[in-house]
Amino acid sequence: MQEFAQQVVGGIAIGGIFASLALALVLIYNAMGLVNFAQGEMAMLATFVALALINRGMSYWIAFPATLVLAFAGGIAIQRLVIRPVERAPVLTLVIITLGLATLINGLAGFIFGYVPRSFPSPFSSDSIDVFGVFISWRDLGVIAVSGLVLLAVYLLLQRTTVGLTMRAAAHHPEASRLLGVQVSWMLALGWGLASAVGAVSGIMVAPILLLEPNMMQSIIIYAFAAAVLGGIESPLGAVVGGILVGLTINLAGAYLPGVGGDLQLAVGLAIIVVVLLVRPTGLFGRAATRRV
Amino acid sequence: MSGGILELKDVHAGYGQRAVLHGVSLSVPEGGIVSLLGANGAGKTTTLRAITAGVRWSGDILFAGRSLRRMGTEEVVRSGIAHVPEGRGICTELTVDENLRLGSHLRRDSAEVKKDYDRVFDYFPVLKARRRLSASTLSGGEQQMLAIARAVLMRPKLMLLDEPSLGLAPLVVRAIFEIIRTINETSRVAVLLVEQNARIALDISSTAYVLEVGRVAVSGESAQLRGDESVRRSYLGY
Repeated sequence: MQEFAQQVVGGIAIGGIFASLALALVLIYNAMGLVNFAQGEMAMLATFVALALINRGMSYWIAFPATLVLAFAGGIAIQRLVIRPVERAPVLTLVIITLGLATLINGLAGFIFGYVPRSFPSPFSSDSIDVFGVFISWRDLGVIAVSGLVLLAVYLLLQRTTVGLTMRAAAHHPEASRLLGVQVSWMLALGWGLASAVGAVSGIMVAPILLLEPNMMQSIIIYAFAAAVLGGIESPLGAVVGGILVGLTINLAGAYLPGVGGDLQLAVGLAIIVVVLLVRPTGLFGRAATRRV
Repeated sequence: MSGGILELKDVHAGYGQRAVLHGVSLSVPEGGIVSLLGANGAGKTTTLRAITAGVRWSGDILFAGRSLRRMGTEEVVRSGIAHVPEGRGICTELTVDENLRLGSHLRRDSAEVKKDYDRVFDYFPVLKARRRLSASTLSGGEQQMLAIARAVLMRPKLMLLDEPSLGLAPLVVRAIFEIIRTINETSRVAVLLVEQNARIALDISSTAYVLEVGRVAVSGESAQLRGDESVRRSYLGY
């Protein structure tokens, strides 16, 4: 029971990390019907930036928001410079561009920072606390709290502010939004900035666990895809629920299914993608695409 | 023919290689209602789309004396034109209230905005009752009401309405046109109305233009056109 509870809390913590990256994917998917394969690499690069800031003596809790601001600006820059010129191209072209972007950022990070894995500080103590007889690590709780706050902030931004309203309108109804004076192209850029910042959170949260190196996010992005697909690729709430479910699944499978621990966990993530696409392609929260003919 | 809030001068427009408008000139006086009639494919919708930069055009379009050449859709709209497009342009992913807020989102005069909300809820009480519901749950007539209410909340100087009667029951059509007239009278907003339903459009407008394959075939005072048997037969089909 004790171990099970710990695995559950650990699963929710890692699930929060997946949820952040999955949410980043969903934000861009909603804005332009595009899966951004570079999302994980963008998060990795942001994490290197955070480490650079911390190594220059900046305190963690200043470097963290500073990195998010930089990631936000970087996301906008990528949309303006790389994506916007080909905005009207077929989706396949865009997908290939994001794949190229992923390779580019990966190589760039390797070139600048090298491939030696680096330890990344965690602001949370490695001690545990006793909650009704279950020892839960502060790190897990900290990751859950940070992810939760970030997800809440995104929710409030999208649902409770005018900017969020115009972002949602621009994403779903670009033509109608333009006629209401919404600057659709800038809303897409904001979407990229927001996705980039939210994705950066997942990188910063996972780096203390995995060690930071240019390929750090390559397994995390698979889990994030699984989470986004499970939640229904269009639903921000689905991304969060999907993330937590995927986190729980791989943690529990790793602990209790013989032979799954370690590397095979990734196969569980891929299996989730395949099963969801076969059984319920719209995911838990997605709607079936209906098209008038 | 000059000095109107909206002036189209020899406007040509089309989609790619296919030209749709072959030199349309028309004028909407300040605070007036003008109807643009004609058969399917005559270029009525394209004319409206040209005004709000939804299609490439040449010639000149002046709004409040200023040329709209080289302006993007957002810019044209922000200068004071509300365009209720073909199909109404309702954001069905959003609630009724969110759709209305999109109408007023650029305005900073919050006291006036509040008054305008009261006004549109007065015109269309059904929208107030359904504020929190998804706009996709509204009937066709209610969606048209929402689209017009949203346009009013933009506080435009000119409204472009693309077939507000389309697909609606006659009673609903009459109610909506009554309110278009009220909006025009109380807030002095000019209206350019595209309609297939020539009879009701001629009733509400002071001036009318009839398009035929991308050109103005007939124009004049609505009352006159309504009384002209040959125009009615050859162009308006009633």
